[in-house]
Amino acid sequence: MRLADPAGTLAYLSLIFGLLLVSCPMAFPRMIVASWQNASLTPIMILFTVSVNLGLYLTVAHRCSAKPGIIASACLGSTPVFVLASLNFVLQATISHTVSGNLPNALARVNEEIVAHTYFALIAAIFGPFLLIRLGQQLHKHDS
Amino acid sequence: MFALDIQAVNADWTSAKWLLWIALYLSFGLLAPWAMTRAWAHQHQSALRPRLSQIFQNGELGLVGLMLAISVIWDLQKSEYNSYTVALGSVFLALIGIMAGWVWIEAFGRRSIGIRFRPDRAWRDSRNLALLVFSVALVTEILLDRFAKVTAL
Repeated sequence: MRLADPAGTLAYLSLIFGLLLVSCPMAFPRMIVASWQNASLTPIMILFTVSVNLGLYLTVAHRCSAKPGIIASACLGSTPVFVLASLNFVLQATISHTVSGNLPNALARVNEEIVAHTYFALIAAIFGPFLLIRLGQQLHKHDS
Repeated sequence: MFALDIQAVNADWTSAKWLLWIALYLSFGLLAPWAMTRAWAHQHQSALRPRLSQIFQNGELGLVGLMLAISVIWDLQKSEYNSYTVALGSVFLALIGIMAGWVWIEAFGRRSIGIRFRPDRAWRDSRNLALLVFSVALVTEILLDRFAKVTAL
C-alpha cells in the first residue's frame, strides 16, 4: 500500500466538496449545519468514510493482486470512528469558545466553523488510516 | 441558527481570491517550468520536447506540494478562525505536505545510494500527493474566503 493510491481519490473527493461549496454556497453549508444540529452529522460521516476507505483498500488490493489483511481492514474500520468521534469533541469546544467570545456575528462564525471542521475531519478520517497502515508497513519492514 | 447573509457569503466567481490563487500556482508551479524548459531547448537548438512527467520525474512535484502546504498553513494562521480549527487544518496540511515532500526525499535517496529507482513510480506518487495537497489547499482557500466575508459583516 502506497499513500499515493488513496491520495488521488481523496483529492477528487476534496475537489467535489469545494465545487459544492462554490456552486451551492448556501444550500450545502446549510445541509451540513442542519445535520450537525440533528446529531446525524458524525454517524453519516463515519458511514461514508468507512465505506470509502474499504472501497479504496479493496480496489488497491485487487489491483496489486494482494490478499486483504485482517489487521489493515480492522484499522480502516476503527480509525475513522476514533478520529471522527475525537474531532467531534474538538468541534464542541470550538463552538463553545466562539459563542462565549462575544464576537460580532457569532452565529454565522459558528456555522462557518462547523463547515470547515466537517471538511478537515472528513479528509483526516479517510487519509489517517492509510497513513497508519503505511507507517505499520515501514515498521514491519525494519523489524523483519 | 443559520444566519448567514446570502449576498455577503455567496461565493462570487469574479471577486473570489481563490481563483487568482489557483491561476498563480498552476502557472508558476507547473506551466512556467514546462515553458522554460521548451524555451531553453529552443535557445540551444535542441529537439528536446519534454513532457511534464519527464520534467518532474524525480518527484519534484512533491516538493511543490510541500511549499504549497506551507503557504496555506500561513494563510490559516493569519485567519480569524478559532484556534482549534486553525490547529486542525494546519496539522493536516503539514502532514500531507510532508508526505508529498517525502516522495522527493525517497527518490533522491534511492538515486544517491543506487537502490532500484523507478521514475514512473516517483512521478505517479508525487503527482497524486501534489494533487491532494492542491485540492485541500484550494478548498481551504475557499473556506478562508467565506470566513473573511463573514467576519467583515
